Amino acid sequence: MKGDMYIARSSDNEILERGEHGGVVTSLLKHTLESGRVDAVVTVKARDSNRYDGVPVLVYNTEEIVDTAGALHCTSPNIARFLKEYLNGVSDQRIAVVVKPCDAKAIIELAKRNQIALDNLLLVGLNCTGTLPSAKAKQMLKDEFGVDPADVIHEDIEDNKLVITLKDKNEKEKDLAELEQKGYGRRENCRRCETNIPKMADIACGKWGTEDKNTTFIEVCSEKGADLIEAASQAGAINKEQPSVDAIEARRKKDEKARELAYKWQENDFDSFEQMTADERFSYWFGQFSRCIKCYGCRDACPICYCKSCFLEADRGLVPPGEIPPDTMFPMVRITHVMDSCVNCGQCQDVCPMELSLSRLTFLLSKKLGRIFNYEPGTDVSQLPPLRTVTDQELSLSGVEVSFQS
Amino acid sequence: MGIDLVPTICPYCSCGCGIYLVVKDGKIIGQEPWKEHPVNEGANCPKGKNAYHFLYSDERLKKPLVRRNGKLQESSWEEALGLITTKLKEATSESAGFLASCKNSNEESYVIQKFARIVMGTNNVECCCRLCHSPSAAVLGPAVGSPVMQTSQPEIELADCIFLAGVNIKETFPLMARRVLKAKARGAKVICTDPRKTVTARYLADIHLQLKPGTDVALVNAMMSIILAEGLEDKEFITSRTAGFDELRSSLSSIDLKQVEEITGVPAEKIKEAATTYAKAQRSCILYDQGICEHLVGVDNVKVHANLALLTGNIGKPGTGVNSLRGNLNGEGTGDMGSLAVFYPGLVKVSEEVAKHFSNLWGVESLPSQPGLTYMEMLYKCPYLYLIGTDPMMVVPDANNLRKALQGAEFLVVQDIFLTETAKLAHVVLPAATWVEREGTHTYVDRRVQKISKVIDPPGEAKPDWWVICQLAERMGYGDKFNFSSAGEIFEEVRKCVPTYHGITYERLKQAGGIHWPCPTEDDPGTSTMYLEKFNTPDGLGHFQPAEFKPLVEPPDDEYPYLLTTGRSIFHFDGGSMTLRTPKLVNEISRSYVEVNPKDAIKAEIKDKNMVTLTSRRGNIEAEAKVTDNVPPGLLFTTFHFPNSSGNTLTNPALAPGAKCAGTKVCAVRMEVKR
Repeated sequence: MKGDMYIARSSDNEILERGEHGGVVTSLLKHTLESGRVDAVVTVKARDSNRYDGVPVLVYNTEEIVDTAGALHCTSPNIARFLKEYLNGVSDQRIAVVVKPCDAKAIIELAKRNQIALDNLLLVGLNCTGTLPSAKAKQMLKDEFGVDPADVIHEDIEDNKLVITLKDKNEKEKDLAELEQKGYGRRENCRRCETNIPKMADIACGKWGTEDKNTTFIEVCSEKGADLIEAASQAGAINKEQPSVDAIEARRKKDEKARELAYKWQENDFDSFEQMTADERFSYWFGQFSRCIKCYGCRDACPICYCKSCFLEADRGLVPPGEIPPDTMFPMVRITHVMDSCVNCGQCQDVCPMELSLSRLTFLLSKKLGRIFNYEPGTDVSQLPPLRTVTDQELSLSGVEVSFQS
Repeated sequence: MGIDLVPTICPYCSCGCGIYLVVKDGKIIGQEPWKEHPVNEGANCPKGKNAYHFLYSDERLKKPLVRRNGKLQESSWEEALGLITTKLKEATSESAGFLASCKNSNEESYVIQKFARIVMGTNNVECCCRLCHSPSAAVLGPAVGSPVMQTSQPEIELADCIFLAGVNIKETFPLMARRVLKAKARGAKVICTDPRKTVTARYLADIHLQLKPGTDVALVNAMMSIILAEGLEDKEFITSRTAGFDELRSSLSSIDLKQVEEITGVPAEKIKEAATTYAKAQRSCILYDQGICEHLVGVDNVKVHANLALLTGNIGKPGTGVNSLRGNLNGEGTGDMGSLAVFYPGLVKVSEEVAKHFSNLWGVESLPSQPGLTYMEMLYKCPYLYLIGTDPMMVVPDANNLRKALQGAEFLVVQDIFLTETAKLAHVVLPAATWVEREGTHTYVDRRVQKISKVIDPPGEAKPDWWVICQLAERMGYGDKFNFSSAGEIFEEVRKCVPTYHGITYERLKQAGGIHWPCPTEDDPGTSTMYLEKFNTPDGLGHFQPAEFKPLVEPPDDEYPYLLTTGRSIFHFDGGSMTLRTPKLVNEISRSYVEVNPKDAIKAEIKDKNMVTLTSRRGNIEAEAKVTDNVPPGLLFTTFHFPNSSGNTLTNPALAPGAKCAGTKVCAVRMEVKR
C-alpha cells in the first residue's frame, strides 16, 4: 500500500549486469509489458549508445527494454512534452513512463489541464539530484576531468561529488560545488530543485538507503504503485525485502541534505532580486526580454503550455508580428500563463538562444505564489492552479495586489 | 507505430545548428531540441525552430517540366534528360555555364563541377559564393592564405572584444550572436559598424559606429592610425609574422580624423574608443559578412579589416581572427568542392599544372586550364545555362535586365525544389530532392563538416542533384567517370581529391558537431583554429594590403535622393523560396517592407504602413513603409526575400574590381507613396 518501502533487486541476470542498483526499474518495465499491464513503455535511451544523446523512446517490445537500462545524467529530454505532443496525451494506450521528479510534476500539471490521461499512465519515478547539460558536460569532462567523454560509462552524484566511471573501470571524482562555481556541473534549475524523491509518481526508486549493495530502495506512492510492486514480486521479476530502520533513516538524511543544498541555491539565485527595488527589477527583466528573438522556444519547451492556438502566435493580433524583440506582451503573457504552475524543469532556459534566465524567473514567481495560495505545483492532481481558481476573497487578502485593466 | 527522434542540421544559415526531427511512419511530425550539439546546445532561432515545413509545401516540384509551345508542362525524366543531352551536345566549352547553389551538398557540388570540367570541358562553373564571398577570397588568400573562418564558433566566447563589421548578427546568425552574448557575460566589449540601428546595434553592441554606407575603409583606416599613434600595435607579431607593414604605415600617415568624421559621419571620439577597445583587448575577434563585402569597394573593405587584425596580432589564436561569415549553410563546402570558375576542388587555383593534376586523378585526357566566367558573367554570356538550386532572379542585382537576358538564352535548365522566379523562365525544370530527402555532407561556417542523413523520401519523382548529373554524364558518354551509386561513394572520391577532407569519413561524422577541416588523417581531430604557427601564404607570413577610401559610385542626387541598403530579416531567408512556404514565418512577415526614417516620412508625406514605390535607375518595386529610426534620414532599407518586390530589382549590377561580386548593398532610389 501507499507508503510501503522495500529494498529490491532484479532476478534477471542480464538486467542485473546492464542495469544499475540491482536493475529494479528495468525489470519492472519489462514486467509491466510482459504482463500486459501496459501497452508500451516510454523511457530514455542513449541513441547509438551515446550517453550525451538521451532520447525518449516508445517501446512495445520487451526485448528492447534492456537496451534502455542504466541512468543517463548528461541529458534532459522533455518527457511530459513527448507524451502530450506525440502520443496524443496518452489517450489511446496504457503506458509505463520512467520519470524524474520534474517530469512527474509536469505530467501531473498537464493532467490537471486535461492534456494527459493520468489513468493510462504508470509513473515509475527515479530519485534525482540533478542532470547536466549535455554539450557543456562533455566540455567539462575534457577540461576538468581530462577524459574523453566517449570513455565515460557511468556518472553519479554522491555526497556533493560528481563521480565518473571510465571504460577501464577507473573512477574519477570532483567536488560538485567547485565545478558549479566554474559554470559546469548541473543545470541551473536542478541546483535549486528541492524535490529529489518523486513521491507524486506511483513509485519512487533510488539508491539512497541501499548502502551501495547493488539494490534499489523503492517507496510505494500510490495504490497503482503498490499493485505493480506486488505483481512484479509475485511474478518473480524482482526480489524484495523490508528496509531496515537505519536504511530508511539514511535515505531520509540524504534527501534532507540535498534539499538543504537546493535551498542555498535558491537563496543564491533569488536573493539579488529580493533586494532590488521594483524599478530595478523591472529594468533587469525588461533588459533581459529585450534580447528575445521570438523563437517561441520557451513556449514550445514548456511542458505546462498546451493551448492549441496560442495567444502569442503572430496571427492572433495580440503581439505585433514580425518584430524583434517582440512587444513586452510576449514574455509577460508567457510568464503569467505558467507562473503558478512552474515545475522548475528548466526546459525553457535550456533552449533559449539568447540566454534569458527564464526558468529562474518563473520558478521564483511560482514560489512566491505558492506561499500566498499554499499551493505546490505538480504534486496533487486534484489541486487546481491557483490563478485559475482564485476567488475574489483571496484577491482581497493583504499582500495580494492584483489590478485588472478594462 | 514507432516515433523516432532523428538528429539533423538546420537547413538555413551557416551556423550549422543541430535539431531532432520527430519522425512517425516516414513523415516528419515535429522537431525537438538537440542539446548535445556543440553549436547550439538545443537552442534555435525562429527559422531553425520551423525548419522542415517547406518540405511539405503543395508547391514542391514533383515531376520534370519541359517547355512546349511556350508553356512548362509535365514530362518524364526520360524525355527531360534526353532533351537536355541533345542541347548540351550543341553547346561548347565557351557557351555552356553551370551555376550551383550554396544549398547543394558537398557531394552534389563536387559532381556538378566535375561534369562541367570533364564533360563540357569548361571552368564556367560557379556557385552563389561569388555574390557574397568573392571579396574575402580575393583579399584573405594573399593576406593569410585562405578566405575561411579562422576560429570556431564556440571559441568566439573566448574573445575580449568582438568587432561586428557590418553584420546584423542577431538576425542573420542568431546562434552565433549567442556566443557573443556569452563573451559579453565574461566582460567582452562589442563594437558594431552598421549604418542602421539594427537589433544588434541596439541590444548587443556596446559601441555602435553608425557610419554612412560605404565608408568602412575610411573608418577602419582611421582606427588603425589611432592604434599606431597610441603605440597599441603588436610589434612582436608584426615583426615575426607579417610583411608589408611599412607600406601600411605610410598609407595611413595622411589620415585626418576631422576628414574621417565628415566622410563617415562618426564622431572621432567614438572611433578612438572603438580603436583602443579593439587594440587593448587580449583577444579581439572580427566577424563580418555581406555588409562589408557586397560593395563595389568590397575588396578594399575586407583588406582594411584584415590589416586591423594583423596590426594588433589578432589572428592565429582561438577567439580572434578576421572571420567571414557565410550566408548559406554550405557556402564553404560548395566552394571547397570546386564550383568556382577559379578553383579546382580543394580551393586550388586553376592553372595548367592543376588541370594536369586533376586529369591524372580523374583519368581524362585534358581539363580546362584557364579560369572560367564568373556567376554574373555567365548569366549574360552563356546561351546554354544549367542552374542547380540557385535563383539569380532574386539574388543578383538588376533583375529586370537579367530577365531579358535569361529569356534570350538558347537553353536554360533549372533544377530546384520549387518553381522559382528563375525556373519560370526555364526550358526544362527538374524536381530536386533536398536536405533530409537525400544523404550528403555540408561544410558550415567554421569549416565544420557535418553529415545529413536521409530521413524521408522526396516528393513525387524528385531526385537528388547528384543522381541527375550522373544520369546526364552517362547520356553524354562519360558514365565511367560518374559511376556513383550513392553520396557516400562520391564523398570517398572527394577525400582523395581534397587533402583538407582526407581524414573525414561518414563514420566519423556521426559525432555531434562533425569535424573542422583541415583534417589530414583519420586520427586527426580536425582544426578549430587556423594559422596557430604560420599563415598558409607562400612565405608563411601575413601580408598587409593597404587600401584607400573611395566614394560611392552611385550617390544620391536630385532625381534619386535616397540611398537604399538591402539585407535580411530574422524571419526569412534569401530569395524566400523556403521561408515563404513556412506558415509561421509568413505570419510574422508576409510582404516586402521598406524602413523609412520619420523625418523622411514627413518630408515625403508617408505614413507607417503606406504602400510606397521605390524606383532606381533600373526598375521599381512596391513595399510597405515601416517608419522607424532604425535608419537615419536619407537611408532606406529593404530585403530581397519577396518575389515581385525584391530589393534586387533596384540594385546596381556593376561588378567589383578584383572580385566580380556586385555592390548590392547600396544604390540610389526615389520613393513615392503609391496613390
